Amino acid sequence: MRIITRVLLPLAVCGALPAQLKEQPAPLATPSIIQKPTLYDSVVKIEVATQVPDYRTPWNSGRFSGGTGTGFIIGPNQILTNAHVVSDNRRLLVTRRGSSQKHVARVRHVAHDCDLALIELQDIKPFEGLPYLEIGGMPKLESRVSAIGYPVGGERLSVTQGVVSRIDFSSYSHSRADSHLVIQIDAAINPGNSGGPVIQDGKVVGVAFQGNAQADNVGYIIPTPVVKRFLTDIGDGKYDHYMDLGISPFPLFNPAMRRAYNLPENGKGVLVANVVPAGPADGILERGDVLLSIDGNEIDSAGNIRIAGEFVDMNEIVERKFSGDKIALTLIRKGKKFEKELALKKFPHSRIYSIQYEIIPRYSFFAGLVFQPLDLNLFASYKFNNRRLRQIYADYVSKGLFKDMEDVVVLTRVENDRLTTHMGDFSGMVVQEINGTKIKNLRQLHELLNAPDPPEYHVIRFNGANRPLIIPSSEVTAAQKRIMAQVGVTKAAQLD
Amino acid sequence: MKKILALTLVLLQPLLAAPEDSLVRINSTIQTFSASQPWEKSPPRSRRGLGTLLPGNRILTTAAMAADSIYIELQSADSTKTVPAKVSAIDYEANLALLVPDADPGFLKELKSVELATPAKPGDEVNLLQLETNGEPLGTIGTIRSMELLSTFVNGRYFLCYTVKASMQTSGNSFTLPAFREDKLTGILTSYDSKDQISDVISVDIISAFLKDASDGTYVGFPSLGVGTTTTEDPHFRGWLKLPEDKGGLYVTRTLPGGAGDKAGLKKGDVILSVSGFPIDRRGYFKHPEYGTLYWPHLVRGGPAMGAQVPIEILRNGKPRKLKGILKKAPLPLVPTHGHDEAPPFLIKGGLVFQELSKPYLEAFGKDWATRAPLNLLDVLNNPEDYEEGRHRVVVLTRVIATEATIGYDRLGSQIIKSINGNPVAGLPELAAALEKTPASGIHIIETDEEPYQIFLDEFLSDQVDRDFLKRGLPILKRLYKVK
Repeated sequence: MRIITRVLLPLAVCGALPAQLKEQPAPLATPSIIQKPTLYDSVVKIEVATQVPDYRTPWNSGRFSGGTGTGFIIGPNQILTNAHVVSDNRRLLVTRRGSSQKHVARVRHVAHDCDLALIELQDIKPFEGLPYLEIGGMPKLESRVSAIGYPVGGERLSVTQGVVSRIDFSSYSHSRADSHLVIQIDAAINPGNSGGPVIQDGKVVGVAFQGNAQADNVGYIIPTPVVKRFLTDIGDGKYDHYMDLGISPFPLFNPAMRRAYNLPENGKGVLVANVVPAGPADGILERGDVLLSIDGNEIDSAGNIRIAGEFVDMNEIVERKFSGDKIALTLIRKGKKFEKELALKKFPHSRIYSIQYEIIPRYSFFAGLVFQPLDLNLFASYKFNNRRLRQIYADYVSKGLFKDMEDVVVLTRVENDRLTTHMGDFSGMVVQEINGTKIKNLRQLHELLNAPDPPEYHVIRFNGANRPLIIPSSEVTAAQKRIMAQVGVTKAAQLD
Repeated sequence: MKKILALTLVLLQPLLAAPEDSLVRINSTIQTFSASQPWEKSPPRSRRGLGTLLPGNRILTTAAMAADSIYIELQSADSTKTVPAKVSAIDYEANLALLVPDADPGFLKELKSVELATPAKPGDEVNLLQLETNGEPLGTIGTIRSMELLSTFVNGRYFLCYTVKASMQTSGNSFTLPAFREDKLTGILTSYDSKDQISDVISVDIISAFLKDASDGTYVGFPSLGVGTTTTEDPHFRGWLKLPEDKGGLYVTRTLPGGAGDKAGLKKGDVILSVSGFPIDRRGYFKHPEYGTLYWPHLVRGGPAMGAQVPIEILRNGKPRKLKGILKKAPLPLVPTHGHDEAPPFLIKGGLVFQELSKPYLEAFGKDWATRAPLNLLDVLNNPEDYEEGRHRVVVLTRVIATEATIGYDRLGSQIIKSINGNPVAGLPELAAALEKTPASGIHIIETDEEPYQIFLDEFLSDQVDRDFLKRGLPILKRLYKVK
């Protein structure tokens, strides 16, 4: 106990008692710590206050909560941390090591698909002179690393050590939809560690970001290729997300399949089984094309390539690229060889499959009926069992349903009222058309229902329903007022 | 009081056969085909129940006792004598079966047959008969509390039943028990809820229609209108339909192509106001002059014979119309709802297993099949009208057995087959016929509804694989049927 106190003392007092220290047989290291901050001092504690919207009552303020995480300084007023540390924040406070003063910060860039964020301080002065942590390379399997941060179990900085146990392509739980390169280490990573640096030889080799509830002594860190990609992506002032080819590959193992596509038995080439309509490959690749190479890397029949001796999925080429970057492809179409080039582009429709943050839930409240656009946030709040809804959700990107349906508008709730007595069966269904018009998005639905001169009856048809839902327009105004007051809805719609 | 009365009746009329003299024990061995490996059968189960001897050495019981049976044995009340039996007529939907001895009637000759009772009414008393282990009859008197349309075996098919309140002592392991009224057969008990002391009993009305149909040796079945309906309780829905307040009405959601409703001109969106002159209320019920409030299908299934004309009043676009339905059996649905006593058709080619989509196939995905079964297949069950064109059945590539011919296809499954070598697939026989013709390339092109959309199969290789399958324990590689 005494030893711990002595060691920590110089750090805790931080030059407040220099005179006293001089009179004692001072440890040699003390003056240098005070004068020259170490790499540990550039690891900061982040306290966050959050406001998470409630998709079941989208008109309400949501849930107020908070937590802590770790960040580290990588450049002038640049603190790197995890996206999940700062998501849905109302207030960010940063604390220096060995200080109790909290400094206000704000998010400059956030990448939910790779769980990284860059935050900046309102006032940089108290942090001046702290070293910038350098982003290093990939650590070797079995090499030692140290995870630094402010996890639960104490107030002060914590350091845990472990070895690199696995380098893999794995899922990033923050968005629930993305997979990238991940390093698994056997150092304990606990709540609060998130966003902290993992160090080897004085350089950052990863950002601690998630654990595994089913296993002990397992921590996951975001490796530097992913960190560097994020930092490059935001170089132009905005984050563009990861890119995707927008195709479904199918392995070409089957000899009959290979013969049908006129391919020799050489284990090369992967089939394009589907091209996402309006995606980057649309108009360039076709279903039935056989991809032979990507940016000069030969593709095998399982869709894998070899980069720097490593055997990886061909998507690894795309993973490292940015919006607007070109991809060169060699392919066989109907027995002929083609060279094609496609430009990667943002494809926002696929975000229906990932959890989104910092957005105000959209809805339209109409006479006790709550309409909301379908996405993973909504799916996470409601248990949708309607088979047509689930089918539409599954096919939304791959079958290009987004072309006719910018939003998949769902009747999520039917508030109880004398007007809506027999309408409960329709909740959880996808709106198909209103008064004869096909529904493309929430705004259009809202405008159709609130048109200045409505028909005698609003006829709302749902996908897969056995009858339409009917609302007499003469009763709408009174019902809307009454039900909004009953349920406590202050705003009839949030369309943006 | 009434119990004593019933007893005295028996004593005073010794010439009249006692109902227990008609009772037969039935032991049936039931075996169905495996849903996922249709070339083989699941382990057998046995089922016990009671049958009632009718004139002409016929034994009446439930379809549940006879469906999928591989062996039925009739046993005397004291379990000492047996006679093998076979099914002479069966109706899975009405849950009735007629058995006949499959050898010399034996002990049946010592029994006394019973006749059918006249239709019963709510409030009537019935005697529910069981047999004790020692062969002694055990009667329980109960009262018909109400009459309802229930589905007692095949889901979603409703027939007139009695709900009988009786405190029963249960003996034996099955609830196929005869119910008597004045010593005549008045129904068959199919289930008993010991908590509420309520049992469901198939009515004599349905039994008598069943026996009449079966009397000529060929059983046809009960008629159906072949329409899907929903209620019109919602006042706004009614307003939009221009349904007057004093009327009921059932909204037609779907008509089975070729069904009696379809032929009569019924269309989706029509509102059925009356059937055979009986007004239908907004939840689908009508007032039966003696039986009380009954669900409307009874007007189709409970009285008129096949081929009878049934007048139907409807409201279409707010205007009343009169239609005439000529009763017939429901057309075969795209997705069969049950497959009792039918070996499921299948075809294996090179390791690809093709089956026809059926409800039992989906149900084999377990208790939560309605959410666990593949989405694309569930959609066919729920919206068959979207798949009916050019098909009488939906053929599915249900699984891929790993073979030399199916390398790379291991993760495929639950794909709906659209065509083989360019020939649309209307059903499994059509798929088989298309695969018989080998294209010049020697490679079959199988088109599906999901990625990769096209599967290729080497004819020569798959033939080799198939021969190997037969050597290694697969009894057959296909089971087909003739397309009607």
